[in-house]
Amino acid sequence: MTRYLLKRVAQAVAVLLAISATAFGLFYAAPSDPARIACGPKCDSAQLAAVRTSMGLDQPIVSQFTDYVGGIVTGRTIADVDGTPIPCPAPCLGYSYTLHQPVLAAIEDRLPVTVSIAVGALAVILVLGVGSGLAAALRRGRPTDRLLSGFNLLGASVQIYFLGYVLQFLLVYSTGLFAPPRYVPFADGPGQWALGLVLPWLVLGFVNAAVYARLTRSQMLETMHHGYVRTARAKGLGTLRSHLKYTARGAAGPLVQLLGLEVGALLGGAFITETVFGLGGVGKLAVDAVTGNDLPTVVGTVLVAAFFVVLFVALADLVVAWLDPRVRLA
Amino acid sequence: MVDAFRRDRVGIASFCVVGFFVVLALAAPLITALYGKNPTEHYGQNGAGLLSPEGLPLLPNGGISAEHWFGIEPGLGRDVLAQLVYGVRTSLLIAGTSAAVVAVIGVVVGVAVGYLSGFVDRAFTFVCNVLLAFPALLFLITLGPVVQTRFVGPGESEPAWMQFLVLVLVFSVFGWVPLAMVLRTVVRSLREREFVEAARALGASRRHIVFRELLPNVWAPVLVHLTLAVPAMVTTEAALSFLGVGVNEPVPDWGRMISRGADVFYDDPTYLVFPGVSLLLFVLAFNLLGDAVRDALDPHTVR
Repeated sequence: MTRYLLKRVAQAVAVLLAISATAFGLFYAAPSDPARIACGPKCDSAQLAAVRTSMGLDQPIVSQFTDYVGGIVTGRTIADVDGTPIPCPAPCLGYSYTLHQPVLAAIEDRLPVTVSIAVGALAVILVLGVGSGLAAALRRGRPTDRLLSGFNLLGASVQIYFLGYVLQFLLVYSTGLFAPPRYVPFADGPGQWALGLVLPWLVLGFVNAAVYARLTRSQMLETMHHGYVRTARAKGLGTLRSHLKYTARGAAGPLVQLLGLEVGALLGGAFITETVFGLGGVGKLAVDAVTGNDLPTVVGTVLVAAFFVVLFVALADLVVAWLDPRVRLA
Repeated sequence: MVDAFRRDRVGIASFCVVGFFVVLALAAPLITALYGKNPTEHYGQNGAGLLSPEGLPLLPNGGISAEHWFGIEPGLGRDVLAQLVYGVRTSLLIAGTSAAVVAVIGVVVGVAVGYLSGFVDRAFTFVCNVLLAFPALLFLITLGPVVQTRFVGPGESEPAWMQFLVLVLVFSVFGWVPLAMVLRTVVRSLREREFVEAARALGASRRHIVFRELLPNVWAPVLVHLTLAVPAMVTTEAALSFLGVGVNEPVPDWGRMISRGADVFYDDPTYLVFPGVSLLLFVLAFNLLGDAVRDALDPHTVR
């Protein structure tokens, strides 16, 4: 197991390095002068040169990259536009000259919003997606199955940037049934927190649930006919209990892996949902950074998003190994 | 296989809807000529009595009239129906071209890796891991502006064909991975089958095995993958335009219509509803068609 773990960690680090190198090369190699963008239009040539030095743009690209990666491990000091040194402790993801704060701090400020959206959306996905997939598999071919698959097909086809506005119009603007979507920190009251986010949760969850419903249903149907489930039923275990205890466990592998990918992607920022509902999370930060040409923030958000994906995919692999002895022993 | 598809009523219906959209895209100039409007003219600003001073349509329901069947755009006052019809063109052109590129790269890489294995397989797995962990949407959002600063001088506007090319490029870079992964698995199991073994025993060359024995057996998964990939690309393209980094004015585009519609949604909801519902129908039909194709091609599917 230790060997497996070590191998998995080494793999994850290699993937992250490759991603950071690609993102870094792509965005810093573009001939638009990052120093000029960072410095602003009122910058004289001396200031520009200072910014260029502090951003390390006078160095060759390879040493810029090693500095950047070094900063992630050990932290470093970056000079602001006017030359004041700014400490950027490890893990340092660079300094945003647009926001005037280290990129990691900017992301940390907005992470609670994104995590809140992700947690609720995940709950909706589990209930709606996995739940309806289970129900459809147990009621295969009956009206319940058809109804659920129709409902999920609608979810797979509708777009957040359409459904989000329609629901806001119908439920918030016209009838006032729901409070306008907004973010209230969890610490200020869990009720307010949930009320402000319930609409984004439902929309994001509904749109993503279809994949899980379909996968759950087909996995369950496939596993149901395995010998060990038949044995459990032959020994007198009830239908529902045998399916939940044995079939579900055997069927969970691909689901857990997909969920790991989903959690990682959600934590990297829900770009469209945040834009539609006007919530200032990491996704909004990334979109704003792109439109505002804030390169350090762009690279930083790409890296953080990739980190979450790699982390949760690896965790999902571990969970799968724990759930299914066939994987562990292979 | 065609017989199995013919028995599927939902499949036939979705095929017709998809066909309808394709005809719309191909015949867009003809349709708008018959209808007597074009997608770029600012009817609302040029003709009196269509837009209020605030730029909202005066007639109810987004300015629907005998003249403008689906109403007019708030602000510029362009014809919604003409924009929608040309919007299908934009979507299908980008998604279709990307799907073709994805098919070629996916088949070549998937079949090659599945057949060769060994070191090539390990390298492939690593590349897949990298590309799958990549925040693809964020990357798509960022790449457009980067290409723009690289190839377009300051002050110039980006030509439409370059935006198309960038979108096709990024869709292809990420799109071939899942297809190649599927084909790798398919080819790996085909490789061990008797007919390939028989060909090998008869002294067939590697080339013969790949082109004559393996390739003819992978088109079914490719077809299923592509029918489901096209709507995914269309919605991603619309999402990019919605976020403001997709296709620019004046090329008609559904995502940008939705983005504009979102700005004025509380005053003029009609302008968002038309592109939104069109996109929903389009994607729904493609998803149903993809399911029908899969069922027709694979008799083992559990239904």
